[in-house]
Amino acid sequence: MSILIPIFSVVKKEWRIMLRYPSWFISFIIWPIIFPFGYIFTAKALSGMESSSLAQFQSIAGTTDYVTYMLIGTTIWMWNNTMLWSFGSSLRMEQMRGTLESNWLCPIPKISILFGYSVSQLLMSLIYISLSVLEFMIFYDFKFVGSPLLALLILLVSVPSVYGLGFIFASLVLWVKEANSMVFLVRGIISIFCGISYPLAVLPSWMKPISKFIPMTHSVNALRAVISTGATMDDISGEMLFLIISGIILMLLGLLAFFYTQRKAKTLGSLGHY
Amino acid sequence: MTSYAIEVKNLRKEFEIKKRNGFFKRNKKKEVFIAVDDISFQVKKGEIFGFLGPNGAGKTTTIKMISTLLRPTSGTAIINGINCVERPMEVLKILGTVLTGERSIYWKLTGRENLEYFAAMNGITGRKAQVKIDYLLTRFNLDKRADETVEKYSTGMKQRVALAKALIADPEILILDEPTSGLDPQSALNLRELILEIKEEGRTILLTTHYMEEADQLSDRIAIIDHGKIIAMDTPCNLKKGLNKTNIIVLELKDWNSSTEERIKGIPMVENITSRFDDIAQRWEVKIHMVNGNDSINDLITNIISTNNKIINFRVEEPTLEDVFISLTGKSLRE
Repeated sequence: MSILIPIFSVVKKEWRIMLRYPSWFISFIIWPIIFPFGYIFTAKALSGMESSSLAQFQSIAGTTDYVTYMLIGTTIWMWNNTMLWSFGSSLRMEQMRGTLESNWLCPIPKISILFGYSVSQLLMSLIYISLSVLEFMIFYDFKFVGSPLLALLILLVSVPSVYGLGFIFASLVLWVKEANSMVFLVRGIISIFCGISYPLAVLPSWMKPISKFIPMTHSVNALRAVISTGATMDDISGEMLFLIISGIILMLLGLLAFFYTQRKAKTLGSLGHY
Repeated sequence: MTSYAIEVKNLRKEFEIKKRNGFFKRNKKKEVFIAVDDISFQVKKGEIFGFLGPNGAGKTTTIKMISTLLRPTSGTAIINGINCVERPMEVLKILGTVLTGERSIYWKLTGRENLEYFAAMNGITGRKAQVKIDYLLTRFNLDKRADETVEKYSTGMKQRVALAKALIADPEILILDEPTSGLDPQSALNLRELILEIKEEGRTILLTTHYMEEADQLSDRIAIIDHGKIIAMDTPCNLKKGLNKTNIIVLELKDWNSSTEERIKGIPMVENITSRFDDIAQRWEVKIHMVNGNDSINDLITNIISTNNKIINFRVEEPTLEDVFISLTGKSLRE
């Protein structure tokens, strides 16, 4: 049996279940508009009503367009946030539903279940990001200075890092059986170290090296450079290389974490534990 | 080619117990709980093999090891000649498993969608899947509500979907863990009839239950398990025949206490005593196993009357599997 069959089946099943909760789509539409407001208003307050302090922001951020700056940061944060809640918590969710063991009884490579969840979440994120861009254009006067295709390429190159982290996270959550505190911890780290709402230049010196090791920092930096200042592929080649290498490493670590957790769960008998 | 569908040899499962002292401190000394203790048995092709025992006896742990969900500490489980630990994927292709509880299927999907999903996860797609799903929905009397979400189904219907799910890939061997647990009597009866029909198709069934009537009615052979060990294994008829020198005397009494029990235990020939209070009838039902009991019935009655106890009813029963269990362990299956 092709591994694609279980992957596609998981995607179809998850979308069917998701469509049974229509209220979810309302937040899907509203959230991209309201979520950046808090950050944009904070930036507006700090830059002064007449944008008198923007020169300082420009000197460290490379742009005066703090709205686009915030929109890019919050969108990437939200992508990671939804990935952690849905894909990262997927195995735990199956365990709580009571269906994890039923899936494990199917003659398939078990990793295909997690791949199915990642594809399902990736499709959801693509829709979310596309919808966000559309709404940003309408409500925030969002414009691409650089190439939209290059921005899309950055997102695609970021996928292995985001979902590699998701593989590790999904395995860990199955282990510790508590998703909430783990999501808060990981998204907190992303929020602080990746410069979601501020340039990394404002970080204390001990934090800066850490932020450089987090792939999301490079995704955000590259997207801001392309969208706000029109950077080209040559300008962001360093970021792209880091994303490719970190993506490979995180995916491998994610697969290792999954296989180790699967083996451990079979020994402890914890697949069916609530 | 082996004539056994399932061969279990010296299977053992140990779990490490983590005990806590207060909020944070954990006992450094590791304790081990033996859930399954060196059990061996074979299930012949085409038979229903019942695993009978109280809750916590090791039934579910055993079937989880057979169905590859749990790695044994030692010993082997062989399915149609295939080792469960070494080649789990091949084992899963010939096994259909229904685990205990009604949450093994997706409540937010319809019955049909559940079967579509699990068919695909077993490599069955397209027209072949649709034909199979329609057949199973009709056969299990689910067709009229096949397109409603499972959350609206009764417990019996959910269990039938779980059984249909296990049969979707046409497995040679079916493992059923407490299949009628939580069902009302009529639904349980219907499910037992379905299980017998499935057996008639030539499938091998390994069934766990703590209902003695169910084990008696369905099983060709039974293994009685307690504290992780198999303590008896034979056909239901032979297991009961082993008690043919034992009379099962059931007394319904107004009162029952430990001093009366000690007094009765002192009568020669009394082997085991179990008692339970019937809340509805407001009386005690005391079951006494006596060897060659006819000779000692007078002693029994005299002793009870001497305690000023009122005998409401008295009867002699044929041995059941429950009596076999009491005879072997000195306790009831319900304890």
